Order: sequence, then C-alpha cells, then structure tokens
Amino acid sequence: MAPRPSSPTVRALGSDRLPQKRSRQFETILKYAAILLALLWSLAPLYWMFATSFKTELEASRLTPTLWPHDATFANYRDLWSGSLPFASFFASSLVTCLATAVVAVLIATPAAYSLSRARFRLRAPIGYAILVFRMLPLVVLLAPLYLLLLHAKLLDTHIGLIVGFTTFGLPFAIWMLKTFIDAVPIEIEEAARIDGYPRWQILLRVVAPLILPGLLTTGTFVFMEAWNNLIYPLTFVTTLEKQTLPAALVLTFTGQFKTDWGGMMAAAVVTTLPLMIAFFAVQRSMVRGLTAGAVAGA
Amino acid sequence: MTGAQSPRQPLAKHSSARRDRESLPWLDAMMMPSLVVLAIVVGYPVVFTVLLSAQDYNLVGTEAARFVGTANYEKLAADPTFWRALVNTAVYTFGSVAVSLLLGLGLALLTENLPGRRGRLARALLLAPWAVPFVVVAFLFRYMYLQNGGAINALLLSTGLIDAPIRWLNAASLAMPAVMVTNIWAMTPFFFLLLSAALSGIPTEVLESARVDRASGADLVFRIKLPFLRNAMIISSLLMIISNFNDFAKIWAMTQGGPGYSTTTLVVYVYRQAFENFAFGYASAIGVVWLVLLLGFAIAYLRAIRMN
Repeated sequence: MAPRPSSPTVRALGSDRLPQKRSRQFETILKYAAILLALLWSLAPLYWMFATSFKTELEASRLTPTLWPHDATFANYRDLWSGSLPFASFFASSLVTCLATAVVAVLIATPAAYSLSRARFRLRAPIGYAILVFRMLPLVVLLAPLYLLLLHAKLLDTHIGLIVGFTTFGLPFAIWMLKTFIDAVPIEIEEAARIDGYPRWQILLRVVAPLILPGLLTTGTFVFMEAWNNLIYPLTFVTTLEKQTLPAALVLTFTGQFKTDWGGMMAAAVVTTLPLMIAFFAVQRSMVRGLTAGAVAGA
Repeated sequence: MTGAQSPRQPLAKHSSARRDRESLPWLDAMMMPSLVVLAIVVGYPVVFTVLLSAQDYNLVGTEAARFVGTANYEKLAADPTFWRALVNTAVYTFGSVAVSLLLGLGLALLTENLPGRRGRLARALLLAPWAVPFVVVAFLFRYMYLQNGGAINALLLSTGLIDAPIRWLNAASLAMPAVMVTNIWAMTPFFFLLLSAALSGIPTEVLESARVDRASGADLVFRIKLPFLRNAMIISSLLMIISNFNDFAKIWAMTQGGPGYSTTTLVVYVYRQAFENFAFGYASAIGVVWLVLLLGFAIAYLRAIRMN
C-alpha cells in the first residue's frame, strides 16, 4: 500500500530513496491494474446485458457472440410494450405494490421508531430485539402460513395481499432504520414543544418528522428496493399473469416467449433493473446505514 | 464503530435505577400499530408454521388435516434430499460469503486512497452489481453460462483456455460453483461498501503514528487495519449468511435446484414441497428446523452487535 501523500515525513526519512521509489511505482501500477480488473469483473456482465438488449434474436443466439450489436435495433424494447405479453402491466404491478409497501411501512414504522428511541417502557428492549430478529426470518418459512392467511382473507391474487406479504420484511427494517435517524435528533429540540404541552403525536408530526424527512425518504427507498427484488412472494401469492410483478413475470414467461429470444429477455432485464438502479444511486450516500440498520448506526 | 443505540438512550439497559423501572408501563401506545401488524404478518405465521409442522396438512388433499405429532420430523430425519439440501445450503452460503468477504476486503483496501472524482466514480461503478435485481442477475448469468453461444464459453474458447464448450449449469458437478460465482458477483459490492466505510472510520492519528514508526505497508494492513475491521467483518458476514440462507431468486431462476438435486437448497426444497407437492405440513417441519438454525445465527448476530 502506497503511503498517503499527506505524510512527507516518511519519505524524507527514507535513507535508500531510489529503490524504494521504484518499488513504490511498481506497487502503484499493480494496484491500478487490480482496480481495472475489478471494474471489468463488475461491469462486463452489465455491459453484456445492455448490449444484448439491442441485438436481434438471431444475433443474440449466435454461436460466436458479437462483442457489440452489429445490427442494433430497438425492436426488443418496442416488443415489450406491444408484444404478446402485458409488460406494461407487469411494470405497473411492480411499481404500485412496491411504492405502496414503502409508504405503508414508513407510516406504520415512524411512531414505533419514535417510541423505541424516546419512550421508556419495560418491554422496550425485548421488543426492539424481537423486531430485529423478525427481519432475519426466512421468507420461505412464512410462506405456507401467509398463503393460507391470504387465502382465508380472500386476498390471494390481489395487490393488497402482495403488499401485506412485502410488509413482513419491510416493516421491521423500516422501524430500525428510522430509529437510527430519530436517535440522531437532539432531544433538546423537542423540549420546547414538550414544555408548551404538546402531546407526543404532535411533537413527532410537527417537530421530529420534518427534521428526519431525508431519513423517511431513504427508508422508503430501501423498502421499495427490497420489495422490487422479491421473487418468492409474487410467485406464490399472485396467480393471474396480468397482475404479476416484473421479477416473477421474467421467471414465468422465460419458458414461453423468451425461450430463445435472449435479446428480448435482456431488454426486459434492463427495464426491470432501471428503477432499482435509480433508487440505488439516489440513496447511495446512506447505503451503509440502510444495509446495517440496527447494527452499525455510527458508520 | 458504535452500537445501534444512541448513547443517550441505551436499549439494553435503562439508565434509570431499578425502582424507577417498577413504575414504568409495560408498553407504549405508539408501538401498537406496528406490533399489531407484525403480530398478524409475522407472529401468526411463525406460530402457525410450528402448528402446521405437526399436521399432515395437504392443500389439495381431500381429507382434513390430522395431528401427526413428530411424524413430519421423523420423515425429515430419514429424507436424504433434506440432508442434501442442508449441505447444499451450507456450501452455497459459507462458500459465497467467504469469497465475497475476501474480495470485498481486497477492493476496499485497494481503493482506499483513490483521490478525487475518478476515485468516487470507480467506487460507484464497483457498487453497481448490488443495484441489479437478483432475478436479473440470475438470467444474465444464465445467458452468459450458455453452453453454445454463451459469453463465458466463447471467451474461454477464444483464449484457448478450453478446447470444448463447458456445460456449466447442466452438469451436476459444475452447477453449484457456477451459481456461487453468480452470487459472489452480486454480493461482493456489499462487503466492499461496508468495509470501505469501516476503513474510513480508522482515526487518522493511528495511521499517522504507525507511519512515523515506519511500519511497512503489510504491517499497516495486518496489524492495524484488519484488527480494526474485525467487527465490521463479523457483522457484515452474519448479515449476509442470514440473507444467503434465504436466497431463492438466484437459484430458482438459474437452475430451479437442478440438475438433479445438485443446487437444491433448503429454500428451494421448502418451496417445492409446499407449492409443487402442496405438502404444507412437511414443508413447515423443514421450516421449523431451519428457523432454529437461523435463530442460532441471529443470536450470534445480536451478540456481535452488543459487543460493540
């Protein structure tokens, strides 16, 4: 590892400056070569997805693949909207259910997070840890009972049922993440409102919520992303193809329309990726906080 | 790195004295909406799973569900596919997490001092795989793994590394490693991100004084940085172990657990039992065993957090 430029002392103290300098140069070259290799490893598959989405069906399934689309076409994207499958409605299903989950989870989680952060009650610690453990529960273990629950509530094959399913992991996460944001608000700010006799609901709504607005948005985005990524719930709880979400639709239609049409498949993949990519870079700065909500709040 | 709790309001132990505690209410009204929802969507299913696991509940069966005691568990113990799935889950989870951790750590150390805009861009680009939906990752790699016309075979053939195309996902011995490589590609950015953040948390005075003492680059990494990263590595690994235990999308969209049972993990097995055989009781028994295993990791995780 090359020393930081901010430490001239080490360089000045070095008695054998020349060989040291050469080995440092070699180290730097090695370092940049490794970084380039890592970039290639990360980006090559993404490039491949993007490039293939502009290839014709014939070109995408060639025995010796072409490095870039020689016969570039938008047909794959056009076909998503006007083809035999209702991709526009898959997209709408994903968007509606994931957005609704994000809003519902944040709305319900905010008072709970405030309570965990500020209120004093005996079951606070056990409830806090229980919620953290809830987040780790395997989705598939909840699958059979949740299915029966939705079946009896007549919510199977509805978007509301799907939102209920998504809430199982969205809510515990949102509570813990919002707690870290509320913890960071100095309690003195609430003091004035408390002295004026405002009830806690009002303090949360009028004083705290505006202060943690970025936190609310970030938390909502994280819940949205996890819901967008979920495959197993839509696959099980939704039976009508038109109501299906994008990830599940990809799996279900792959055997049909896309059997050999990798160009079309990759166009669908790009469309499925874009909203998540946009959300990801929107919250990139608070990424660490989100990924470890409940663990390393200081990071 | 600090614990989750703010210093003002520690969660584990109240700052108030014990007699103060006695006068505290058990619950807080603001908790209630969340508790009610969680009780319905998480609490009830968990309890119901345990109950189901003692029944021979079959969704399409004509007979009513019967209480069968531990029969499902006895069946489980004698089911070779269950044990196979358990081993596959362990291989898949620990293998991918270990490699991703090492790669992410290496990347974090490599890019630590990258300056300016180009450094920020490189870091953002290295994170990009994390923003790709799991299903897309799976189909993308499935396309690249194609025996004929897949990018990976084409690359290996043209560089002369192999003479004949390899059947990556259709060969029982190669399917698991191939799926793991996919998983590693998608997961490495997570470790990279978390360990980069932890690295930047090392106080500069510590690094400066090490440099004044003319510690070598290797010393700096092994004696100072790695010990400092220890907690971040433990916590991120446990988080990923738990999430990989649950990984359904990648495996299902790539191999559906095949060929044979070579990539059937517990998630895939439970899913097949419940939604292809409709054996809800048996699937629930597997779920309960798994719940117990996972609880072990969850407890380890909670202890790791509290250590901080």
